[in-house]
Amino acid sequence: MTTLLEVYDLSKSYKLKGHWYNRKVNNALEPLSFVLQAHKTLAIVGEVGSGKSTLAKLLVGAEKPSTGKIKLNGQTLEAGNFKQRCQHIRMIFQDSGTTLNPSLTIQKLLDEPLKLNTDLNEQERIHLIRNTLQKVGLLADHMNFYPHMFSGGQKQRISLARAIILQPQVIILDEALASLDPSLRSQMINLLLDLQQQMGLAFILISHNLGIVKHFSDDMMVLSGGKVVEYGKTHELIKNPKHKYTQKLLMAQNFQLLSK
Amino acid sequence: MNLLDIRNLSIELVTGSEPILAVDRVSLTMKEGEVRGLVGESGSGKSLLAQAIIGVLDDKWKVHADRFHWRGQDLLRLTPEERKKVITKDVAMIFQEPMACLDPTTTIGSQLEEAIDEQLLSGNFWQRRKQRKKSIIRLLHKVGIKKHIECINSYPHQLTEALCQRIMIAIALAKKPLLLIADEPTAAMESTNQGQIFRLLSSLNQLKNMSILLISHDLENITHWTNTITVMYSGQFVEAGTTSQIFNQPYHPYTKALIDCSPKANIHLPTKSRLMTLPGSIPILQHLPIGCRLGPRCPRAQQECVQAPKVTNHHGHQVSCHFSLKGSK
Repeated sequence: MTTLLEVYDLSKSYKLKGHWYNRKVNNALEPLSFVLQAHKTLAIVGEVGSGKSTLAKLLVGAEKPSTGKIKLNGQTLEAGNFKQRCQHIRMIFQDSGTTLNPSLTIQKLLDEPLKLNTDLNEQERIHLIRNTLQKVGLLADHMNFYPHMFSGGQKQRISLARAIILQPQVIILDEALASLDPSLRSQMINLLLDLQQQMGLAFILISHNLGIVKHFSDDMMVLSGGKVVEYGKTHELIKNPKHKYTQKLLMAQNFQLLSK
Repeated sequence: MNLLDIRNLSIELVTGSEPILAVDRVSLTMKEGEVRGLVGESGSGKSLLAQAIIGVLDDKWKVHADRFHWRGQDLLRLTPEERKKVITKDVAMIFQEPMACLDPTTTIGSQLEEAIDEQLLSGNFWQRRKQRKKSIIRLLHKVGIKKHIECINSYPHQLTEALCQRIMIAIALAKKPLLLIADEPTAAMESTNQGQIFRLLSSLNQLKNMSILLISHDLENITHWTNTITVMYSGQFVEAGTTSQIFNQPYHPYTKALIDCSPKANIHLPTKSRLMTLPGSIPILQHLPIGCRLGPRCPRAQQECVQAPKVTNHHGHQVSCHFSLKGSK
């Protein structure tokens, strides 16, 4: 199994306002390291303010890390070099409806990343868009539709199509499954699992639904207040959580009670 | 006696061409001291049903029912004023986004003060102010807020979401309601906060014998807290029964699919296996299928399903399906 993503001592701190003799620093994320392999999923679990979204922002390049290095396939990713990064690491957001531009058709929407990042001609781009739409379970005819003509589940599929159209290696799902209805959510999980098998994608799943985390992920990282509380294989971690905080999280979702 | 007894309630949206039946003959009964879950995915009409109970639907919506009784009193025969009087006395509702429901321009204290019923205060007018303040503090203690002074003086944006929801519950409790309707009280909340709110609601149910109608889109989240569950799909009644009946032996294919697709409920499911799921997506209001609305997505659908099925009752476990899973097990 090849190592895809390596993260060393990644951290982020924000400087707060104050006088020069009274500088305050907010450590949003303490240094952390992990390794992600192809075909694998890393789940990141934590409460509000635990730094899980900060971590996602750092990985995708929306924020510059204070310290640390991110390596993809052995190559260091530099902060600010978006061309290099956005081909390989893509992100899906929680509310897919608001991340799609309402004034563009689906074809134009999916065309944008291709125009910016590849030198395919128009024919090839349309061909690729058609294939990608079919891959996520939509029809090629949907190319000429506008985002408001789709339901919530379909919108989420379009944002998934936008994520995989550049054939990335890592996809970050920032609460991407939280706002979906249960039956659509399980469709989406099935789709993601299929794509992972076909394309060898690695997922970073940020979620607070431990049921999905347990089903979906191989490794799991529990964050609290910017610190890594626990990190390990998901099934071991859920079976016997060592840290009090993890135990509390599991208790809160009454895992034991449902397993009767 | 049943607290709330609704039989065959339909809600129509009056449009230009022809009316759309958004809720199609749904029955719901609530006993005193019961926690009933109302489960349905988006567009299933569960919020509409709650609004119809409260009576806050505007003129666009038409409500019909064979029976709509509140403690033996027919609500549909009352004038709007009388109905409002009955409902505000005994029913309270809390909403999905507590932050958005509280007034951002005034303090929590004065918002709570508005909710206090003057008739519950005794004493002369110069004593009222003090009494009102006392009852506010009592309300805050009831919902588990210990730092009442800070809370009274703060604005909604200064508090966390879970605290705001507690304050919403406190406002709802001010009139000592018999029925509390909670419309997705914990949506978009962290799991630890979700647990807190649910624990608070269930303790209120046990201590005050208050009935709760808990509306949620997720079956797995509420099963631990409810006695009975009613499932709706796309405006139609699907299944009703006790929590264990619904959860351990669902009769309707839709309920079964809901339970099967939840990885939390199936603890023994191997990881990364495919989840059971229904094909297709939820129909939109303009293009509802005829007959049983699950028809196009249902794995057991046959020709009869173009006619809406009748509700059958098996020992209190009601199901509305031509080909229920009852016989097959």
